[in-house]
Amino acid sequence: MLERHFSAERTTVHEIGVALNLLESIQATALEQGIERVNAVIVRVGALSGIAPEALQFSWDVASAETLAAGSELRIERVPLVIFCERCETERSPQEGTGLLCPECGVPSARIVSGRELQLVAMEVPA
Amino acid sequence: MKLRVVEIASNLMVKNDALAAKLRTRFAQSGTLVVNVLSSPGSGKTTLLETTLGWLSERYRVAALVGDQATENDARRLERSGAPVRQITTAAECRLDAEMITKALGGWEPGRLDALFIENVGNLICPAEYDLGEDLRVVLLAVTEGEDKPLKYPLAFNTSHVAVVTKIDIAQAVGYDRAAAHAAINDVHPGIETLELSARTGAGMEAWFALIEQRIKTKARAAEPDRQTVP
Repeated sequence: MLERHFSAERTTVHEIGVALNLLESIQATALEQGIERVNAVIVRVGALSGIAPEALQFSWDVASAETLAAGSELRIERVPLVIFCERCETERSPQEGTGLLCPECGVPSARIVSGRELQLVAMEVPA
Repeated sequence: MKLRVVEIASNLMVKNDALAAKLRTRFAQSGTLVVNVLSSPGSGKTTLLETTLGWLSERYRVAALVGDQATENDARRLERSGAPVRQITTAAECRLDAEMITKALGGWEPGRLDALFIENVGNLICPAEYDLGEDLRVVLLAVTEGEDKPLKYPLAFNTSHVAVVTKIDIAQAVGYDRAAAHAAINDVHPGIETLELSARTGAGMEAWFALIEQRIKTKARAAEPDRQTVP
């Protein structure tokens, strides 16, 4: 898979919004559980989400500065695009830039199995 | 330092989705069709909506919300149609979200509406993630754009209900490849209803008006037993 280059003008604003959502979720959980410091944050990002990991990392550093998660490590788990191909009757991973085309039979699929994820999975905090 | 893992497993869109669900309930009660229009900058959202509001406002009660990062120019253009229009200036945000829509509707009393059009911020990445409580998501692709744009921004086309190819009056001059554009749209959303039109010349507009009109009627009928006076 081709690595996306970090293009500030294209994506940063999108990732900043996501980073702020992330911070809000973390702060809510921390408040509930009396957590005062966050060392690492684990997120799951689908290939279709339009998120460039480098831009999210940059946005996270900015958004988390001077918060309980300042300087925390952001671990990004990337989830590939997987479709269910009706013709092959199985799950397939389309190549990037080919939409939802089955790489084997070339038929587009209307069923996305994974790749839309934008999830906060967990965080690491002092024991 | 010893660390422990706190499992959270939350969707980052959960807050937006909850607000969007509330909007959907509200518009179901009032029988208001909500149309969210997405496209790149310059694909013709404002021109299409100008013409659409002008045509519809002679027959129905319609209004529009317009999102832009800066300026109120688009709202001023849409106001010429005579329909109530409100601008949402999003500043740093590259899209509208359900919270912005909720806030913009607060204190705004255009009366009971048959249809509310939302012109999203010109961008095909961020708006695709945000449900605004709409019934109909419409994505535009101008003939001046690359025919492979749907492949570059698959989510915007995949999550839309209707694709509209705009500026069809200049298709020949710019060498628009109809087959390639339709193939790309179908590669990311098989079977999606696709229209071709020019808001400037009126070509193809009948089909667009008919589609909207039919949706307005369906929505109103569904709300008939418990129609209220919001928004």
